[in-house]
Amino acid sequence: MEFKEVIGRRRSIRHFFPWRPVEREKIQIMLEAARLASCAVNAGFLRIIVVERDKLPRETLEKLKTPVSANNLELAPIHFYFYADMGAIERTKGQPLKDLVDAGILTPSHGWSHKFVDELVWPFILEPITKDPGRHSMTAAFDCGVAMSQALLAAFDEGLGACFSAFFPDPVKELFQVPDTWMPIWMMAVGYPAAGWEDGGQRPRPVTFEGQFFEGNAKTPFSRDPKVVEKLKEAKMITAPAPLPWRKEEVRALSRMLGLPE
Amino acid sequence: MATLRPMLEYDTVRTWLDGLRQHWGTDPLEDDPTRLEVLEMFCAFVDKEPDAVIRECFIHKEGERRMSLKGRRFYYDKIAEFQDSLEGEPRERVRGGNNIRSFFIHNGVFMQSGMQLG
Repeated sequence: MEFKEVIGRRRSIRHFFPWRPVEREKIQIMLEAARLASCAVNAGFLRIIVVERDKLPRETLEKLKTPVSANNLELAPIHFYFYADMGAIERTKGQPLKDLVDAGILTPSHGWSHKFVDELVWPFILEPITKDPGRHSMTAAFDCGVAMSQALLAAFDEGLGACFSAFFPDPVKELFQVPDTWMPIWMMAVGYPAAGWEDGGQRPRPVTFEGQFFEGNAKTPFSRDPKVVEKLKEAKMITAPAPLPWRKEEVRALSRMLGLPE
Repeated sequence: MATLRPMLEYDTVRTWLDGLRQHWGTDPLEDDPTRLEVLEMFCAFVDKEPDAVIRECFIHKEGERRMSLKGRRFYYDKIAEFQDSLEGEPRERVRGGNNIRSFFIHNGVFMQSGMQLG
């Protein structure tokens, strides 16, 4: 699938075929996509626990449910739990940056050297970040978010559907033996979409294009070119908006098929 | 035992039916004529009138109406018990339970109970 079409198909899916398993190969593809994401100071914060719903005892699944994720957890055969390992920077003390110097990525042309990492970056930038919880968690969460987005798009590229949601960290920590240094981020439900890739249509956005994007300063909206919009419709990045005409009947049929209330 | 009036006399029942009507665009009692009867059975099961049931899912705190997690959890479990107590085929029991869940949902009580397969 072309990249633009993958973006166009990305939407939070909440109705999955619960009986259809996700191929292990596709799970790995998603993990590989997450692994290749941009990563500040090459720290490698991201950790993911992949859980197969059908391998969980019923009482375990019940403990994992939050008020807004109960249906997703039941319907999606695969759950990804995303974490940031807050011990990543401290354990490596800048070594990943030196690895990038050795790989010709951080180069002397741009001021980089091992000495710079050891004598300035680690003591004055990285170590202070680890001691500032707000800044540390923001940095880690941002990085993990980028990786999560890549995993998410990889899911859609593989013909799957996915949806992020929050989770209760305490039962998950206990049930899946999560280390103390791991900061919980989000959970992602993954499976085959029961209403097809369209799933009711492309979701509306709460802010207009010009309300979100600016040019040169925060007061001048970035003007949206209708010709570009048409091009993106042809490329299937912009698709038919929700609700599609048949959506109500579709949701009603899905509710009855899946034993959900109306 | 709570004395129940006809279901349509309760605000929360009318809210429920209005919600269904507005969301689906069809007559909720034509779609499923058992709705009111099963709600009445549930109210008898928990010994409460429908308005009281919904009231117990909310609390007032600092001048604001908020969800009562305890109340919602209580009724979440009661619905499951009620559903199990119904006679008939599993599909019918699920329909009964989901009708009650629908009553709560259209009265603003967020509820997800997962797939009900009977």
